[in-house]
Amino acid sequence: MSYLLPNLTKKKQVDSIIRDTIDKVLVLRFGRASDALCLQLDDILSKSAREVSKFATVAVVDIDSEDVQVYVKYFDITLVPSSVFFFNAHHMKMDSGTADHTKWVGAFHTKQDFIDVVEAVFRGAMKGKLIVSCPLPPERIPKYQLLYKEI
Amino acid sequence: MMKSADKKRKKESKKCEFEFCKVCNLNHDHGNRHKYFPNHTKSLSTFLHRFQTKLSDIRFFLRNPTILRPELASRNRFWCVVCDAEVDEIGSSFACANAINHLASADHAKKLKHFLWKYGGGMDHADNFRFSEADLAKWEKKCHSLNDGSSSCSDRTNGLQIGPSNDIQNELSYKSINDFENNNLGPLTPKFLNNVLPLQYNTHKYQISQSGHPATAADGRIVCGAHITASGNACSASDRWNSNNITGWQNSQHCIPHTDAVGTSNFGNGGVSVLLTPFDLSFRVNTWPLEGAIYTLYTQLMVIFSGLASIAQVSVMAPGLAEGNVHTGAPPPWLEMTVEHHPEDTSVPLSSKKGKSKLNPKRVGAAWAEKRKAELEMEKRGEIVNSDCGPNWLPNFGRVWQSGSRKESLKEFESEKPELPKVEVDPEMPITLRPYVSKRMVDVILSVEVNCVRLSMEKTVMGPDGMWQPNGMEKECISGMPKIEVCSLPGMLQQLVWGGYSTLWIQVALDLAYLLGVILQKQSVAP
Repeated sequence: MSYLLPNLTKKKQVDSIIRDTIDKVLVLRFGRASDALCLQLDDILSKSAREVSKFATVAVVDIDSEDVQVYVKYFDITLVPSSVFFFNAHHMKMDSGTADHTKWVGAFHTKQDFIDVVEAVFRGAMKGKLIVSCPLPPERIPKYQLLYKEI
Repeated sequence: MMKSADKKRKKESKKCEFEFCKVCNLNHDHGNRHKYFPNHTKSLSTFLHRFQTKLSDIRFFLRNPTILRPELASRNRFWCVVCDAEVDEIGSSFACANAINHLASADHAKKLKHFLWKYGGGMDHADNFRFSEADLAKWEKKCHSLNDGSSSCSDRTNGLQIGPSNDIQNELSYKSINDFENNNLGPLTPKFLNNVLPLQYNTHKYQISQSGHPATAADGRIVCGAHITASGNACSASDRWNSNNITGWQNSQHCIPHTDAVGTSNFGNGGVSVLLTPFDLSFRVNTWPLEGAIYTLYTQLMVIFSGLASIAQVSVMAPGLAEGNVHTGAPPPWLEMTVEHHPEDTSVPLSSKKGKSKLNPKRVGAAWAEKRKAELEMEKRGEIVNSDCGPNWLPNFGRVWQSGSRKESLKEFESEKPELPKVEVDPEMPITLRPYVSKRMVDVILSVEVNCVRLSMEKTVMGPDGMWQPNGMEKECISGMPKIEVCSLPGMLQQLVWGGYSTLWIQVALDLAYLLGVILQKQSVAP
């Protein structure tokens, strides 16, 4: 699970990984190790991390650590797990037909889905697009309800 | 005037039936106008050009009639685009005989005229696409002479054509392979055979069309290739071969270099043929000594006739052999290649890095990436870098409920941040409802109360039911608290004050109370 992926608990670590990943997509998973869906996502991430290693880096952030709460607030993370994509320290949005384009909420069905998503992000980023559309069909995208400002 | 213009327009716009133009390969409803369209003229020129090339091949055979081998007859088919008919060569004894006959026929001429009329090729060019009777007559004469010539040396040759054209396609009847083996094949005297027929030029139609200039030979060079076929029939070339001694044989004008790849193998009736092209041999001979050429020729033949008849001989690659092979102990080519490539390796990663640096400059965060790379390099060198990454650094993020550019997201977040510690804690205070009592009223009530107490003490008091009663309650009224129910005021006033009536009434009540108080005071003062 997380022993294969860098596990980040401090804001400084998150900062450094965002700043040091150059010309590669950075996938930051925000979640906790006790959540079942999060574990499923971690499984997929760790298995496909090597396959996308040429154009992507995957890291895991523990949502329960205090130091990282500022990021939790900044990224508006309300549902677990949530994955945020970065490219050259710029945040990449993905339109997957859900309400929240700024992150990917939920897990992936297969490794290939994850690889496709990361590839789409990479291709868009290389072309200079800050938002890309999701290559997965709607049935493979996890659905969720996003409440307005946490009401 | 107008009517004629209309008529013209009508004529032009008159639609014809759809018909197919085989030159353009499309259906059109332009009618007769179609042949003047520029697209059609272009297609027509390419179309006729293609037909012309085929005709030129046939024309060659018109001038040089050659005997057609029956096995190969089935391959020579000719489609006459003018007549929309296929002409095959089954049953013809000479190459393209049927085609020549067809092209010279009157029927073809008639159809050709119709074709040119319909597709607009120019009626004067008709002769390019047909053979005249004179040509046909000449050709037939030649054919006859060929036939006669072949029959005269039938004891050795079966239909071998002796003449200027040494055509494999024609002859090729062979004795069995055993004949080859029985011959003494010395390394320097390839008198192979009865079975060897030297090929002096391309014989196949397509080869001819592709062939270039005839090869010229210098002294002592082999210019012709050796076409070796083994088939059931006997064929002779032995005399010719013997007569054409390799060492002194000069090329004839019919020798045309074969530009195709060497080493084709035609599997005839279970036979094997190896084609060594004149071009290749001449090329090699230019770099080789004569003995070498003869030796390789010999080795190839030995390979063929030693029973490995089914293996196609690899073409003789001169440079490789000259450099060495497994037998001579030379290093294998792949090792040499790696040695060559090692000095290239250092250049390859550089070029790949250069390729990387040509990453799309428009990619997301390109400027930031370049800046960061520079920073990292400086850090590697040990220089201190001014990093603007303080503890409060946050990446460029487009927030969920954000409207506006991302630069505002940080600002929004910063503004939201100080609100977080200011969490309001509601004090728990039970809310009790009380009638509103103003300070003034409180004072008045107190004073009235006091006075009433005095009044009650001296005189009769007002009982609770609002009637004045004799004073029985002395101490009950003395209280600091505005307990109005105990107060011994006139009932109306009491009710007014306690009930919380409107301010007007309260004001009235207050005035009355004031007056009352004043009166009472006076009364008390003035006994």
